[in-house]
Amino acid sequence: MKAQGRVVPVLAWGAAILVVWEAVSWYLLEVAEVQMAQSKLPYVHKVLATFGTYGGTLAAEGWITFTNAAWGFLTGGAAGALLAVLMSASRWMERLAFPYAVASQMVPILGLAPIVFGIVRNEDLARVLIAAYITFFPVALNMLRGLRSVSPASLELMRACAASPWNVYWKLRFPASLPGLFSGLKIAAPLAVTGAILVELMGASRGIGVIMLRNLYYGPSHVYMFWSTVIVGALLGIASYAIVSGIERIAAPWQPEFRAKGGDS
Amino acid sequence: MESTATLTPEIQLEHVTMQYESGGSKVTALQDVSLTIAKGEFVSLLGPSGCGKTTLLRIMADLIEPTGGELKVAGKTAREARLAQKYGIVFQNPVLYDWRRVKSNITLPLELRGVPRAERNKRAMELLELVGLAKFANHYPWQLSGGMQQRVAIARALAMEPEILLMDEPFSALDEFTRERLNEELLAIWSKVQNTVVFVTHSIPEAVFLSDRVFVLSPHPGRLSAVVDIPLPRPRTKEMRNSDEFFRLIARIRDSFEEGV
Amino acid sequence: MDGGLATPVKAAEAAQEQPAAAAAKPPGSRVRFSDSAAGRIGLPIAAGALFIALWELQAFHRLLNLRVYQLPLPSAIARTIRDNFDILLSYAGYTLAEAVLGMLIGSALGFLVALAATAWPRRGSGSLFIVASLNAVPIVALAPIMNLWFGSGIGSRIAVVAVTTMAAMAINAHKGMNMVDPLALDLMRSYAARKRQVFRYVRVAGSLPYVFTALKINTTASMIGAIVGEFFVSSRGLGYLLSNSIKVAKMPLGWSCIVMAAVAGILFYLIVERLEKVFIRWHPSQRT
Repeated sequence: MKAQGRVVPVLAWGAAILVVWEAVSWYLLEVAEVQMAQSKLPYVHKVLATFGTYGGTLAAEGWITFTNAAWGFLTGGAAGALLAVLMSASRWMERLAFPYAVASQMVPILGLAPIVFGIVRNEDLARVLIAAYITFFPVALNMLRGLRSVSPASLELMRACAASPWNVYWKLRFPASLPGLFSGLKIAAPLAVTGAILVELMGASRGIGVIMLRNLYYGPSHVYMFWSTVIVGALLGIASYAIVSGIERIAAPWQPEFRAKGGDS
Repeated sequence: MESTATLTPEIQLEHVTMQYESGGSKVTALQDVSLTIAKGEFVSLLGPSGCGKTTLLRIMADLIEPTGGELKVAGKTAREARLAQKYGIVFQNPVLYDWRRVKSNITLPLELRGVPRAERNKRAMELLELVGLAKFANHYPWQLSGGMQQRVAIARALAMEPEILLMDEPFSALDEFTRERLNEELLAIWSKVQNTVVFVTHSIPEAVFLSDRVFVLSPHPGRLSAVVDIPLPRPRTKEMRNSDEFFRLIARIRDSFEEGV
Repeated sequence: MDGGLATPVKAAEAAQEQPAAAAAKPPGSRVRFSDSAAGRIGLPIAAGALFIALWELQAFHRLLNLRVYQLPLPSAIARTIRDNFDILLSYAGYTLAEAVLGMLIGSALGFLVALAATAWPRRGSGSLFIVASLNAVPIVALAPIMNLWFGSGIGSRIAVVAVTTMAAMAINAHKGMNMVDPLALDLMRSYAARKRQVFRYVRVAGSLPYVFTALKINTTASMIGAIVGEFFVSSRGLGYLLSNSIKVAKMPLGWSCIVMAAVAGILFYLIVERLEKVFIRWHPSQRT
């Protein structure tokens, strides 16, 4: 399908939803006179107006959340990658760490956010730490899978060329592991942002989560601001995913999904 | 190029052409192919890659439509023949469903037609007997070797008792020894079922061993360049592979290639 | 070569596939400790035990300059669990119920969306995109919205979980339904099968492995969704107790909640994995 053919239906769906939203909002408010109608489903144009008016504040607070999450994300990602390399190089490391890595996937990690904040009590550090922890294990697992995905035939070829272990890693295993690495990063990115916002709910003073909470509890007059923060939160999540995807396109462009779809094979 | 068999025509192609666009230029997969296959014949479509033999088979199966020409299959159009289940098809891969056991892979076409369960099972067991795999009815496909899986695929193709059996290089994924053995088994099955077989292959010995006639196709553009009669007596035996006549036929076909290209 | 020789042939092939590692080891060397059964279970357990021991001995406290009230000792946590076990268990059940119900609803909806997107590709794929972007809305935004829409009862948490789990299922099920061998589709065409039959016989069965992958991902996501939902608004449940404990500085109780949540999460996952073994016995990933 050509790019045009895919964008148009999506835009159509999006526009249709906005229209329906506006219509239902009007209905709830004017016709059905539902209690707190605007809180439940506010007018789209009013939300956008508030979004525009307070854009500066929203951007500033969102930036704080985002940068903290980003630092944590990078640190956790680097540490996870390092662990993956260690696990692939040493059976001991692997036996030690792998069960915990897998188990961590089954544990509700985000639940740790309040605890981290409780320990550290410094909101910036807490955001960074939780983002790092959330990123650590998915990246380690996925990159390990990537490192291991090298075919035995490729390894034998390296051996036949008398390649040093360093070269085997740098020229073969590492490039082969990039798709796995990015898989893990893409999973972790929105979660890191979410973790950072969660910390803010526990009593931080800056950040988009704080604004969200403030406007939630101050009642109906702050409804549009609340929904604006929701939009910012969603945008941060999408942006984090999009940035990682963009970097992936540059770093690992050979993957099948990035190739132009040509004729029959 | 008249067939010596005086039987009724089962498949008729007239001036069939297949062209398509690829990367901005026109490719002619098949150019002006006309042929007739009689009822009860075993024929091969033989040629190197790019000669259009698979395309030709898929046109007969109504899996693709030709850009020109006409064809009749079992007295109907290709589409009507498919809807009436006049043929069964075997691909290069067995294409068995991992989540069904051998027996229920074979009953699939019968299920689609609403055949009742008791009859389906009976038919499946008959077919498994025919291909010599009755003991494996309850196995999963991946527990069988490649050759055995293809025999299951053949059994499945015969489920609806079709008049025509279309086979697209069914044995080329297997090793030479298995392939020769399966050739003999296929002929044994065919002698019992006695329908019309169109067999696509790139192996000259295989085509000569199996067929009554060999349609030789050459590429660029894909066209019918020769039809060779195989007057070897039936039933065909292993020993025939070593006979002078066999090698002479192989040489004759190979020569007709050189001309075609 | 043929006939009943399938299994020996396959066994021989499998033996040959024993990777280069085995061939590279000089003959006569002992099996390494890390490969033995004792090593495989013993190492991680030993590491875990060591970690807990260091913690109890306040090694981390000294390292990170923390006080005991900030980071409670394992013994204190264990004691708190024992003392509060009744309430912890009942709250765990409550949270688990939210997670399971929400996951069932969300997965069902996601599956339907994938079905629609596969059956009517041009119009249906829009719905797939919408579901995928819903996934981008962070849970922290979803929770208060669901609270506004569904009140403060269990319904709002179930809604949060449902929305969170929909996308993973929709994307995975869609991939599974469309990753069909083109020859299999040709085969169905040769049977003159109708669209509905192609779905029933080929696409749905083939998508099961992907559906289970999504279910496994969704178990954790649903626990998280339930707990985070309770952070915002709830009067019961592990998430409520956790955030409450932190706010009143009852750290050991907060840690107890996390421990219970972890155990519940792992159990949930293992149950789904067991179901997977039953339903897709035939898949390559399940064969020895």
